[in-house]
Amino acid sequence: MNGIIFDLQRASFVDGPGIRTTVFFKGCNLNCLWCHNPEGINLKRGLLRYSEKCSACGKCTAICPTKQSDCMLCGKCALLCPNDALELCGRIVSVDDVFAELEKDRAYYEKSGGGVTFSGGECMLQIDFLEELLKKCKDVNISTAIDTAGNVAWSHFERVMPYTDIFLYDVKCISESLHIQGTGVSNKFIKENLIKLASQFSGKIVVRIPVIGGYNATYEEMNTIAEFLASLNISQIELLPYHKLGMHKSEAAGVSYKEFTEPPAGFLAEWKNRLNSAHRCKCNP
Amino acid sequence: MTERIKKLTELTLKGEMHVVPRNVDFSQYDKSSPCYVNEDVSRLCEYIVKQEPVINEYCSFTGRFNFDGSVIGDAFKRGGHANTFAALSKYYLKPIDNLSTMEWQHATASYFKVLEKGIEGIKEEITLSLKLHTEPQEQEFLRGLNAVADAMIEWSELCSNKVSEFAKTIADPKAKQRLERLSSALLRVPRYKPECFYEAVLSIFVCFSADPDSVGTLDRFLTPFYERDIKSGVLTRDEAREYLQELFLMLQASTPISSVHFTRGGESHFCIGGYLPNGDDAFNELSALIVESLIELPTFIPQITLRWTKKLSSEAFRFVLDCERNDPHKRIAFTNDDKRIKCFTENCNIPFEDAVQYTMVGCNEPAFLGAITGSTSKGNILRCMETLFHSKSSLIVKTNSYDEFYSIFENELFADLQQIYDYDDMYNAERAKDINYISCLFFNGCIENAKTLTQGGCNVAIASPMLIGITNLIDSLIIVKQFVFQEKLISMQDLISALHSNWAGYEDMRTIILKRGCFWGNDDELSNSVAQQLYQSLYNFLKGKKNLFGYQWLVGDLLGYNEHHKMFGEKTLATPDGRCNYDLIKFGIGQSEGKDREGLTALLNSIAKCDANAIACGSTITNLYLDEKLVSEQANFEKLADMLEIFFNQGGVHFQLTYASKDDLVSAKASPENYKSLRVRVTGFSDYFVKLKPSIQDDIISRTVHRS
Repeated sequence: MNGIIFDLQRASFVDGPGIRTTVFFKGCNLNCLWCHNPEGINLKRGLLRYSEKCSACGKCTAICPTKQSDCMLCGKCALLCPNDALELCGRIVSVDDVFAELEKDRAYYEKSGGGVTFSGGECMLQIDFLEELLKKCKDVNISTAIDTAGNVAWSHFERVMPYTDIFLYDVKCISESLHIQGTGVSNKFIKENLIKLASQFSGKIVVRIPVIGGYNATYEEMNTIAEFLASLNISQIELLPYHKLGMHKSEAAGVSYKEFTEPPAGFLAEWKNRLNSAHRCKCNP
Repeated sequence: MTERIKKLTELTLKGEMHVVPRNVDFSQYDKSSPCYVNEDVSRLCEYIVKQEPVINEYCSFTGRFNFDGSVIGDAFKRGGHANTFAALSKYYLKPIDNLSTMEWQHATASYFKVLEKGIEGIKEEITLSLKLHTEPQEQEFLRGLNAVADAMIEWSELCSNKVSEFAKTIADPKAKQRLERLSSALLRVPRYKPECFYEAVLSIFVCFSADPDSVGTLDRFLTPFYERDIKSGVLTRDEAREYLQELFLMLQASTPISSVHFTRGGESHFCIGGYLPNGDDAFNELSALIVESLIELPTFIPQITLRWTKKLSSEAFRFVLDCERNDPHKRIAFTNDDKRIKCFTENCNIPFEDAVQYTMVGCNEPAFLGAITGSTSKGNILRCMETLFHSKSSLIVKTNSYDEFYSIFENELFADLQQIYDYDDMYNAERAKDINYISCLFFNGCIENAKTLTQGGCNVAIASPMLIGITNLIDSLIIVKQFVFQEKLISMQDLISALHSNWAGYEDMRTIILKRGCFWGNDDELSNSVAQQLYQSLYNFLKGKKNLFGYQWLVGDLLGYNEHHKMFGEKTLATPDGRCNYDLIKFGIGQSEGKDREGLTALLNSIAKCDANAIACGSTITNLYLDEKLVSEQANFEKLADMLEIFFNQGGVHFQLTYASKDDLVSAKASPENYKSLRVRVTGFSDYFVKLKPSIQDDIISRTVHRS
């Protein structure tokens, strides 16, 4: 079975406990304006164009079999570009291909309490591929985590839960209108799925909240999130401060991006304390 | 840190604790005296007892002296070793055939003997050996050693008198008491075996003059004294810390402040931990205290390597790693005892109980206690690849398979290796004409074999010429295998033509190679297997091959203070790894100028897997450049520690760390005034980045910086 991914990052210290390998699945059904992996939104392979690196040498035009009229994603232009201004994004890989990579760092996972994280994009959109990979990991006792925005059918969760140790579950906001404004979709399923997951999943659930100045970094919205989470059985909450690393990639991927601001000084620390006391769970940073 | 140590530190960093050699007017010797051995020995003895120790009110130790070249001095600095200097003038920094150049050679004393039985005990060994060795030159050598041993005793007594006289001028009762104690102790040690921790440190302090290179395995030397004194209550941990710090300040002061090496750590490098002869791990409370004591000092020398073993606790490993993280002067490195002991026992046939008695010296060269490092010459291992593509391309142009290509390559490799190791013997033969009388007192085997260390007198030693360009060689082989034989994207003829023209007209080919090449360090099957095959070839060539003194040859890959990667590189034509004519070549193992793209675990796996036979356990280094952010959070630091333990468990030999971002390094080169305190690991030594030569700065900037 094949899937499409846009990156596989070994030696990751983020995306879950211990030392991890993170597989970034291509395709997402949210369009977050601040997305830090915008090249992963489109389910299809694509060509990233970093205009600031281009020296207009013309090698890409010369080599293009279609003379740039209808890109076949052959990758020849990216291969010959001397400035890395072009990059073919996305590769079709088999379960066995990916699993072979994941196995290479087993000793590191075992020593550090780490494992594999499936992220994206939205990894749950390639549910068959994901399920196969999870099963293979479980067969050899590699710990697994799913990083999801939760905007999928509940049946998808039911399929992966037996083979998953940790859910990293993104919560952007509770207000539906604000959610639609920032991500382009309703958060109805996202909230429902989290409630179900918290009541049915026996593993660890880490809720990750991107804290974005000019979007959700307000007392009102954070209070609403805190209230929503208060009744749920959550293991940990992580606050992820907004950064601009996705901006130049958005342009390269042709995805719309809106520049926000980092949360005000002290805001993260304050909400870390509040969430800690309210939920009796570890809250990072 | 106590006020006394602070004051000594201040004086040391001002250069005032360096012992300046005193000129000696050599008188006429009584050649009929039974003490007279030969002119060299007499001058040496005269020189020693005419020196002037550094004594001040803050000292609790003294007795160091340095040589000035007027006599045949110690075996490390080689002052007065005329033949060594003659050889150096011919070959040092002067590569022969762009293939080999002579380098300085370490020589590491062992302090076990002087701590077990004092110089008097060593003299008894000499007396016994005189009965067994009757050849005139043997007799002369041994009698020379005996005379120098007497001079060392006399020197210590002279120091005692000077300290006693100085103490009388001191009003402060504490300082006076400390100096009186020192004066009294100098009458006992190093002449006799020390009775306490303080006297043991003093013995090492004085005898270090005889070979000012490394204090070896300091925790092993001192542990019996430390444990006994702590138990009996005559020593506190804080007192031990002060003594150690004073010893370390002496090591820093050994290098004059006027030397560029004053801020480097390439001298006075020693070890803690590692396997004991009974198989236990040596790391103990004293080992921890040694590390703690050192990093409290704002100095540059000495360096410490932790010998990691599979029996070392994770807590101890983390403790030392944490000290390293907090040490702005980057004085701590790490090596894997399991891999090294495998090398020494299996490849060098050294018994386990002897194999564990090694230390790391200089820029990360392994050296046995009481032995010279059998060689440290540098070889350009990339030259064989250059020869194949530029001079002998007709041999490879019609090869039909990688195996066929490799077989031709291996012949060329072996021919160059043979030449490199032959040159190495030639350098050693030149050095061997010098007879050393002072360092041999503290070297294992010289007395019982009645032979100077330069002529193979040491019992257990290894020889590790350093092969510069191994990473380029592996990458070149990979490119040939991948593009010419597996993917058949590039023909051998085109690759040859591209290299002949220095890629001119073949720019696209080079771009493809650089972008799509399965370069080494990415832990994929192709690159790992190519690297493993090369190391297997090195093993096949070197297995059982010994240098002219009978020391097993091993593979090393590091640079010393000199820019051999530039020196060789600027005469080496383009190579298949995308390198252009005269570019720098790579040293060390694992520094892949951004070609290692799969993250730190991939790089560590590649390194750990490449040399199953442990033939490359000579002078090898792995420099890891990590983004500072990786260790600024404790949770990430714990992950890094796990990762590095796994690296050693899987067979990595060495690592040392630098925390800096690539942006910092680039900015530091452009605006050195803003980065005066940025210290980096270079090869074995560390130094301020802004003080390095531009070619070394460029090399460091090109290394991959790993992030999370």
